[in-house]
Amino acid sequence: MRQAGERAWLLEWAGDESAANAKARAAAAAVRAAAAPGFLDAVPSARTCLVLGGPGFDASPLAALEADPPAAPPGPAPRAHEIRFTPDGADLDEIASRCGLTPEGFLRAFTGLAYTVGFLGFTPGFAYLYGLPLAFHLPRRPAPRLAVPAGSIALAGPYVGIYPGATPGGWNLVGTTARRLFDLRGAPPFLFSPGDTVRFTA
Amino acid sequence: MTRGLFVVEPGVLSTVQDLGRPGWGAWGVPASGALDEEALRLANRLVGNPPGAAALEVTLQGPVFKAVGDALLAVVGGAFGPAPGEVMPIHDGGTLALTAGPGAVRAVVAVAGGIDVPQVLGSRSTCVSARFGGFQGRRLQKGDVLSIGEPFGAPLPGRANVPRPPAGDVTLRAMPGPQEDLFDPEARAAFWAAAWRVLPESNRMGIRLRGESLGFVETSALPSEGTAPGAVQITAEGQPIVLLAERPTTGGYPKIATVASADLGLLARTAPGRIVRFERIPVDEARRLLAEREASDRAGSAR
Repeated sequence: MRQAGERAWLLEWAGDESAANAKARAAAAAVRAAAAPGFLDAVPSARTCLVLGGPGFDASPLAALEADPPAAPPGPAPRAHEIRFTPDGADLDEIASRCGLTPEGFLRAFTGLAYTVGFLGFTPGFAYLYGLPLAFHLPRRPAPRLAVPAGSIALAGPYVGIYPGATPGGWNLVGTTARRLFDLRGAPPFLFSPGDTVRFTA
Repeated sequence: MTRGLFVVEPGVLSTVQDLGRPGWGAWGVPASGALDEEALRLANRLVGNPPGAAALEVTLQGPVFKAVGDALLAVVGGAFGPAPGEVMPIHDGGTLALTAGPGAVRAVVAVAGGIDVPQVLGSRSTCVSARFGGFQGRRLQKGDVLSIGEPFGAPLPGRANVPRPPAGDVTLRAMPGPQEDLFDPEARAAFWAAAWRVLPESNRMGIRLRGESLGFVETSALPSEGTAPGAVQITAEGQPIVLLAERPTTGGYPKIATVASADLGLLARTAPGRIVRFERIPVDEARRLLAEREASDRAGSAR
């Protein structure tokens, strides 16, 4: 466990990234559920869980949580989502050829897989999904676009990402969905939570 | 009649802020809130509000307000006025023009009763980058009318000491890590020894600094991780960014150090062009500084 300033603690796991992320999600859910005095936030990400505590927060239980994160985290059960999308991404042909497939072949493989929401970050509702086979791990584009279309479904490294709004972005664009990922009029305002499962249909 | 403030001139970046909305980091939502928490608490206390009531954070230039109904205001932070640290009554139809002296960068304007905007995800703070919260999710514009809530309690008499940056170089106390080990010994030594200039490109996400580059830092293999307030990220060009209240919740740059929470308000009040240096302190010391400041917030010993 590392200290990130006097009121933040980073729990960290080595090994396979999606397995490490599952531990980070479980630890974050456990800290959130415990709602200890002074607790402010728990943010799971690729290999770490950042815990923020204000005055009176007791960090001493965190080391044990890092050593032994719960297998079945407390909190609401993960939800399963089906995301319909239009395969109109500007990079679809290039993605397919880099994967050694035709666009149709790539889309067939891409929509046949099940993904897990590993974590959210970058901007409210932006989701990082695990579940891509190694052959589909592509580098980011050398020059980020100034704005990608809102609802873009995109690939970079081990992740499928979904851009909630039109933001700058350097990921490889597969297509777009009309689903809203962050909508304050919705209850809940977020489509995805860490741990949810996702399938894409074109 | 609803009491309020009519925005005659909005200033450069004036937003509604409170203590922010921590707790939504797992969904990618920045905490937001006043960059200078110390100023927010003090300004609110002066006008009789709870410390976390919604107030206005103003940046670089003084906005001008016209009161709709009577209002009590207090200005706290840096070189802003008029009457820093004093409660000012403004009568119905009267105007208040904030003054920005040399080196003015950020201040909080609290109004008795607080700024009455809806709570979004538990806070009235504006998230400028994601355009929600505060007044219609954005900075103030000419012609906006901000509602004011019912007064909470009696204002404090007299004048409070208003925190401002010292005259010379600014020293920020900081702890090493969480990723100091990714930097070679020369880069580490250079970070703690160097004079860093505050850049005008700074914003509510982070204060950008410039000095002699710490050298190229390999960042492509670093996985994203949660960001703490005050984290000092080093960019690929070897320059620091100190992350503030509206920082993105996760980031992939290595963090060589983390500024003590007790000094984040000072950083928010430090104008572009000024020189800052980092002083290395242990975590226990930072904890003690924070506890001290919190005790003084509660006791009102800043008066």
